This record gives sequence, C-alpha cells and structure tokens, in this order.
Amino acid sequence: MGIISIEHTDRLFWLGRYSERVYTTLRIFSDQYDSMLDLKEEEYKDFCRKQDIPDIYRSAEDFAQRYCFDEKDANSIFSNLNRAYDNAVVMREEIGSVTLSYIQMAVYAMNKAKQSDAPVYELQHVVDNIVAFWGIVDDSIDDEHVRSMIKLGKRVERIDLYARMHMARKELLREAEKLNRRIGRTGLSYNRKSLAHINYLLEEEKVDYKELVDEVENLMQ
Amino acid sequence: MDNRELFKNSDSVNELLARYGVKFGIYKDHVFHEQLFPFDMIPRIIPADEFAYLEKGLKQRVMALNLFIKDIYHEKKIIRDGVVPEEFVFSGSGYLACCDQIMPQKEIYSHISGIDLVQAKDGTWYVLEDNLRIPSGASYPMIARDLCRKCEPQIFRDIHPEDNRNYAKYLRETMDYVNTGGHTVILTPGRYNAAYFEHSYLAEQTGAHLANGHELIVENDHLYFIDYSGKKERVGAVYRRISDDFLDPMTFRENSLIGIPHIFDIYRKGNVAILNAPGNGVADDKGIYYFVPQMIRYYLGEEAILNNAPTYLPYYKNDMKYVLEHFDDLVLKDVAEAGGYGVVFGYKLSKQEKEDFLRMLKEEPRRFIAQEVIDFLDINIMEKGELVPRKADLRAFVLMGKEPVVWKSGLTRFSRNPDSFIVNSSQGGGFKDTWVLSQ
Repeated sequence: MGIISIEHTDRLFWLGRYSERVYTTLRIFSDQYDSMLDLKEEEYKDFCRKQDIPDIYRSAEDFAQRYCFDEKDANSIFSNLNRAYDNAVVMREEIGSVTLSYIQMAVYAMNKAKQSDAPVYELQHVVDNIVAFWGIVDDSIDDEHVRSMIKLGKRVERIDLYARMHMARKELLREAEKLNRRIGRTGLSYNRKSLAHINYLLEEEKVDYKELVDEVENLMQ
Repeated sequence: MDNRELFKNSDSVNELLARYGVKFGIYKDHVFHEQLFPFDMIPRIIPADEFAYLEKGLKQRVMALNLFIKDIYHEKKIIRDGVVPEEFVFSGSGYLACCDQIMPQKEIYSHISGIDLVQAKDGTWYVLEDNLRIPSGASYPMIARDLCRKCEPQIFRDIHPEDNRNYAKYLRETMDYVNTGGHTVILTPGRYNAAYFEHSYLAEQTGAHLANGHELIVENDHLYFIDYSGKKERVGAVYRRISDDFLDPMTFRENSLIGIPHIFDIYRKGNVAILNAPGNGVADDKGIYYFVPQMIRYYLGEEAILNNAPTYLPYYKNDMKYVLEHFDDLVLKDVAEAGGYGVVFGYKLSKQEKEDFLRMLKEEPRRFIAQEVIDFLDINIMEKGELVPRKADLRAFVLMGKEPVVWKSGLTRFSRNPDSFIVNSSQGGGFKDTWVLSQ
C-alpha cells in the first residue's frame, strides 16, 4: 500500500461514517416524512429523542425542512453531507476524482432538493449518488487499506444509528458480522475489548441499546 | 460550419467540470468560497509552426532565467558587469539572502515556470510576466481536454491537436529528476487555498503524495512522511505549493503553521529537493522582467526570441520622464502585486487619483513598472449562445528537467468583462483550453 498519514486515515474513516449517516437518515426520514404528512404529526419528536438530537423544531413541517436542509444546524442531513464532502475533497489523490465526483453530485442533488416542493423525490438522487459512491469505492480503489477504512466508518456508523433507532437484533447482528470481517483489514488499531463487548451485547436476546451505542463509540478510541 | 455548431455540447462539458469539482477558492469578506472556474469550450488554436517559435523562445527565456538565479546566488557576475543594477536584485521581495551559495539539485531553480504571453492584433506575441515561484493553472486545460473529448468526440476525429494530457507525466519526470531518494510529495497549505483543486488533481495524476506541513518531519538531516502506524518514510522531493515565506518557520516567517520546520537546513545540505527552489522569485520580480532580454544576451550570447512588452522603469530618469509624459497611454504595475491586483491604467484615473498616484510613483519609483498597453488580439467566447470577443492571455508552462520541455498546450484565460484587460480567475475571468495543432 501507499503511505497514508494518520490524518488521512481519520478522513477516510469519517468519510465512511458521514456518507452512511446521510444514507440511513435519509432512508428513515423518507418513511417518516410520509407518515407525518397525514398520520402521526408528532412522530419527529420520537426521532429526535432516539437520535439524541435537540428538538428545536416548531412543527413536523419545520422539522422536515430544517432537519433535512438547514446547513447551519449541525445535526441536519445537509450538514452531515457537507462533512462527508469536507472529508472527501481532501482525499482526491487517495480515492480518485471519479469516486469523489459521486459525493460532489450528492451535494448538488441536495441543493436541488432544498429548492423543491417535493423534496423526497429529489432526495432520492442524493441516495442514488451515495449508493453509487460505495459501489465505486469497491470498484475503483485498489488499495485495500484505503477501501477498508471507508467501509469501516460505514459499518461503525450503521450499527451506531441502528442501535439508536432500536432496530431489530437480527439487523444489528448482520451489521456486526460485517464489522468483524472488515475491521482487521484496515491495518488500524482499535479497541479489541469494545469489539468483544459489542459481540457479547448482541448475543443477548434483549439488546441493551444504550450500552451498545457507548461501546460502538469507544471502538476506535 | 461556425463554432456554435462545432461546440454544441459546451453545457455538457461544464456539467462534467462541476461533477469533478474543477473549482478555485476565493475569499470574499474574509469568508472562503469555492467557485467553478468558468470554461469556454472554444479553444485557442495555435498552429504548429507558430508554437514551434514560442517553444524555442520559451526555452531560451527559462534557461536564461535559471542562469540568472544561479548567478545571483553565487558569483553575481551580471551585477558586477553592470547589466542588472543591484538595487533591482537585492531590494526585491523575491531575493532571499539565506539562499546565497546554496546550489539546488541539478542546478535547477525554476522547475515549473508559467510564462504569461499575449498576442497583439498584428499577431506578435509578447511576454507579459514570468511566473517562477508557484505558477498554477496547468490542471485546468488538462482536465478540460479530457472532458471535451468525451463530449465532442467528432471534433477530435477531425482535428488532431497535440495531446495535452501528458502534463502529469512531464511533471512527474521533473520531480523524479531532482529527487534525492525517497517519496515525492506535493506540499499544500490545505483545502482553503485558492488552487487546492490543482494540488489534489496533480497529486492524483502524478501519483505523488499530497501532504500538509504537519505530516512531514525533519529528523537526522532528512525529511520524512509519517504514516498512520508511526512509520517514517523518507521523502526526496517536495513540490511545494506554498510560498517561500511560509516554507520553514525556523528560517522564514516564524508564525507559519503550514511549513516544515528545518526543511531549509536539509535543503541547504542537498538532502531534499524543493521545487521550485526557494529564492527563485528574485527572477520573477516585475522589475527584473525588464532585464530579461539583456540576460539572454549576457548568458546565452543570443538575442531574445520572444518580445517583452515595451516596458519602462521609472527608477531610471529618462524612463520616469517618458512615463510622466505618456501617463494616460500606459499601464502601471506594482512589482509586489500579483493576480491582476496593483494594475492601474493611466487613462482610467480621475484627476485626484492621478495626482495621488504620481506622488506615490515619485516617492517609490522602484515599486512600479510602466508598460505600453498592448491591444490584445480578441478571442471569441460563447456567451448566451452568441460569439463575443474578449481579451485573453496565455500561460505557457515550461518544465525544467534534464532538458527544458514546453508543454504543448497552456492555460488561456479571458476576461468576461468586455471592457477589461484583467483575465485573472480571482477577478472573474474564465479559461479555455489551448490547442497546439500537430501539423
């Protein structure tokens, strides 16, 4: 492999995390948006609570607009996409211009969705670009360490989000399996006790979600 | 068929340029903005024989400039022989006393030179500026060509311009030629630099490592890149994209956070190559530009092939007299400024502004040069589907390795303002690809 600085490994890992955060929150948001239209107006409050983000929104409509598109709100999906872009744009020589272009296009698509009166339709283009980004990561990044650092970030973020959303144990087990396979391929040092504990927590029928979130956050410390 | 028909897919190219993030950074009110660099798809076309003339002149010019820098930091013969007055050398911001008696690898001071030229309406080419410190811009026509070939394949079946996508290969060869052993690094100040796209794209295309100053360390008289496991890998060549001032806080600005402490010490010992060499700005001072034809005669025993724009140095009494008498016909340039800043057209000043400027000129004659306003050849650009003429220059790139190589392309910059001669991207200018015809 080529030489990679510690700053670059951090960038790659967080590129994976933020791209996953955008993807999964958009997926959840799209479902939520649908039910908030005419069924459960206050459902977003539960979403904020589970995501551990402050409920600063005045209504479901305000939530839909600001949680998605307010770039000044650090918890918004757009802010998370900008963080993904910030990490990607300084990695051009590691990931390549073609790979980077999918994150760039996701940003353009997000800007377009922000102007739309049917945002969920336009946001699909953001999701498409994120999915394409992961595809091209697999296809065009030859360096296994570089590829694995991005994918490790993705796996860590997904378990974190799934745990916060109290997703079914089956889903979490599937993601944990992928995490176990991936983490050793990065060449990065990680907290082995945390990984063992994550696996242990998922052996239990009743998952302790809070402890799981804490342990996932400890994994790369 | 006219250009509108030929280049009908211009929007597609601009869409791809946006997709690949072909941008430059600009600070407005102290806030950083990334902007797309406006691209006009109609290329500047230079016939093969005309470019052959430019190539010869550019090689000659850069070779003389290299010899001048070497002389200034060693024997200083050109000063002793009275060809260039010492005031113009030692008081210039580009002269670095600490570079005295330092010989860079293979005696090359200006590895990558960006020479700005304009073509007058009678077809004559003039050199406007020699940019030897960290000239930027090659990446833009390089990527634009790649994308144009995708969007307008038929044009490239019919016309065969010289392929310009070899710039990265030339740059790599230039870096490798002076490498003292180890990795090659492109040193960037970071993402918030105006030319960050170029830094990262050139790193990708050359296979060099893009690094910030804090990722590199000097130890035991060598430069190392520290990888994430803590392993140190030796670095033999640094293509720095930061200015001399910030390169090494132990030698230059002590508050620089983007440089590499002690790199200048090991450069002095010959343990790392720095491209372009520190101190080479002594030759791209706008005041020194005046003397380039004399330098060519002095070092190479030849007459300059390329013309300088007619230039006057108010420092000289006769020139000052001429400048005062013809002020309204001249353009005045502050030698310390770049990027199109510090440029004043005499006829544009109000009475009061003119009085203020003349007072400053008389107080600090060394600070300015005056040039005749060259009536540039207008080049057509496409604006809202119509062809409109605009002023344009050409930045030609000369890479100095074992032999000087002139890249058969260049960055053509144009003014988007019909009343302006200023083509710089930082002031709203756009760019074109430059096609050198292969026959």
